[in-house]
Amino acid sequence: MGTVKIFYKDDCPMCPMAKKLKDNLRAKNVDVDDFNVETLEGLTEATYYRVMALPTIVVEDETENWVGEWRGNVPNVDEVLHVVHGA
Amino acid sequence: METTDLNLFVRTSEESIADWDRSKIVDALIRETMIDRDTANEVSKDAEQMIRKSGIKVITAPLIRELVNAKLIEKGLENTRKMHTRLGMPLYDVDSLILHPNKENANVPHGPEATNLTLSENIKKEYALLSVFSQDVADAHMNGDIHLHDLGFIDRPYCSGQSLEYIKKFGLDLPHSLSMAKPAKHPEVLLAHLVKFAAALQSHFAGAIGWDAINVFFAPYLEGMSDGDVKQLAQMLIFEFSQQAVARGGQAIFTDINVYWEIPQHFVSVPAIGPGGKFTGKTYGEYEKEAQRFAWALFEVFKEGDGAGRPFFFPKPIVHITEKFFRTDGHMDFLNFISDVAADKGNTYYVFDRGETAKISECCRLSFKLDEKDLLDAREPWRMRYCALQNVSLNLPRLAYLAKNDDTQLFNLITERFILAVKAHKEKRSFMEKLLSLGEDGPLALLTMNRDGMPYLRFNLASHLIGMVGLNEMVQIHTGEEMHESKRALKFGIKVIAHMNILTDKIRRQEQMKIVLEQTPAESTSYRFARLDMRYFSPLSGRIVKGDIASGEVYYTNSTHLNVKYAMNPIERVTSEGIFHPLIEAGSISHVWLGESHPSHEAIADFVIKTFKHTTNDQIAFSPEFTTCNKCHRTSRGLADTCSYCGSPDVDGITRITGYFTKVSSWNKGKLGELKDRYRNTEYFSETKKKAVNE
Repeated sequence: MGTVKIFYKDDCPMCPMAKKLKDNLRAKNVDVDDFNVETLEGLTEATYYRVMALPTIVVEDETENWVGEWRGNVPNVDEVLHVVHGA
Repeated sequence: METTDLNLFVRTSEESIADWDRSKIVDALIRETMIDRDTANEVSKDAEQMIRKSGIKVITAPLIRELVNAKLIEKGLENTRKMHTRLGMPLYDVDSLILHPNKENANVPHGPEATNLTLSENIKKEYALLSVFSQDVADAHMNGDIHLHDLGFIDRPYCSGQSLEYIKKFGLDLPHSLSMAKPAKHPEVLLAHLVKFAAALQSHFAGAIGWDAINVFFAPYLEGMSDGDVKQLAQMLIFEFSQQAVARGGQAIFTDINVYWEIPQHFVSVPAIGPGGKFTGKTYGEYEKEAQRFAWALFEVFKEGDGAGRPFFFPKPIVHITEKFFRTDGHMDFLNFISDVAADKGNTYYVFDRGETAKISECCRLSFKLDEKDLLDAREPWRMRYCALQNVSLNLPRLAYLAKNDDTQLFNLITERFILAVKAHKEKRSFMEKLLSLGEDGPLALLTMNRDGMPYLRFNLASHLIGMVGLNEMVQIHTGEEMHESKRALKFGIKVIAHMNILTDKIRRQEQMKIVLEQTPAESTSYRFARLDMRYFSPLSGRIVKGDIASGEVYYTNSTHLNVKYAMNPIERVTSEGIFHPLIEAGSISHVWLGESHPSHEAIADFVIKTFKHTTNDQIAFSPEFTTCNKCHRTSRGLADTCSYCGSPDVDGITRITGYFTKVSSWNKGKLGELKDRYRNTEYFSETKKKAVNE
């Protein structure tokens, strides 16, 4: 099963939706790491993952390969779950 | 004894011999320092007594000053001594300067003008460290915690981005010049104005003079010209800049020319200025074909090289690869052509402006997004004049030696040094403000000239660069691994630069100063820092610095680059190094060293497209190596000790040092060490060639 990384910042228009997605995924027992790019840790991870738009949602498989990504938009929970379970 | 009784003569600084007069010491002390008359009298009497005892008959003014300084120290008047300092150089040093080349900057030739430059630079350096900067900033520079770049040019800004539109509109009308020229009516005259203005600007800036969208702004002058004439104009432009070795210190003007295949979106509907400084009635968008003809002709000249087939060192052509580039007709032909030049001569720099936001390149390859106010400027492009006032680099490996593997300590130290660099910027800024406030009667008259309702130098827009040297070695000391060795090490490197990026944002807001992170080219700084750390942090530093310790050819890896020696697929290198680029606004570049290999233009073009589409890298350049013969004047590929055509040992090696091509014989020891280490990607490019042949 894949893990999800969500990158956001406090004042971007679509970021509240991304935070909601995080809560919904966690409620379904999906492993989610979330990163606020205005913190040092968040900016470091976002730079490493070449996040150029916010929010960005990435799904990684167990060997840390990217199996899904949404940059600058927020997918619905089912779309993400589909990728996570396929990973 | 009265002063006049002393049978002593003084060689004065006014080239005369005068009778001894103690009151001159008193006068100088009162004029130059804050000392009171009684103490000045006392000090002068002590100095006189010392001179009298020596029995000397003729004494020089500098020696008297040093003896007075010795007395000031004896009395504990250190601040007074500092203010009374004489700047200058020992005879021995001047002698060797006149005889031997200066290797701090490979763009400085060896000759009387260059010696003048070095001598004046040395005095201005001392002046800067004593008089412009505070003691802690000066000390941090002296001991190698930070490097204040171009101290010898303390009374100038650092680098600049210029617009040809200014001279097209206003002609060449410089303060205090012997004649003024109205706006050019012919392309050749515009070219002459450009080169002369660039030379005048080089006398007012320490570093690069960059010209934005040069082919676009020349375009209105090219209508009706034959392809042959356009080529001739391109040839004149490149030769004029590359042979202009009569400017400051006999140097060539350090020139960048920015070239676009498409008309940049922000200039498409801008009214074009043509011959005589008049609007042509068309917009730049209507001159695309002329602009493309000129761009193509410039690269034809670069492809041919100079009279001996060598690459031109200057001007440096910077081609902007944008989203619109890929939507513009003929872009693949142009990309293949400039990639042919890159493979053959190495000149082409590829700058990647991704996204649809309007961006321009300022000096030092600082790209910035145009905000609404900038876009208004773009409607009147002669206003688009930018500069950076100064560049200060941090010695990153030193912080890791000091932090002793403690993360908190390391990040605190980075913050401390960063704040010190900001302090240095404030001090330079206030010094520059003082010089500029003197207006057209001051030393920077050219920069204060006002032809369009604002001073030529737009001080309020000036940047202040903070660079970094040796991130790779900092990570190595702190984590035990270099950045190419593990994801953990690479991420730690990113964390350091992310920390600097956050600091930049914060301090920019706090201080209302445009602080900008830069990948310092560090032509001599990476050597200087490594050498100083060998002195202060041995034996550990001996295991960290790169290069050859035995020959003294040591260096730290430039900026945030990965170890140059490590054999790694160049696409992977450009991808990994490019990860840092979104955090660094200025100067980011990845070098692809080619050595003797000669990739096909298809391989280079493919590499460029992949870099644009799949990485966050801001800029790449491909660097071949050459050997040019001073006897038969032919040039061959690769670095060799003798000429492959005539066998003469009288040869020069040529390749890119940091941001420009130059002769290897002029390089400092650190860069020579790096040159020996550079991984030259021969396998990758011979594989791609084989693959292409098979296909």
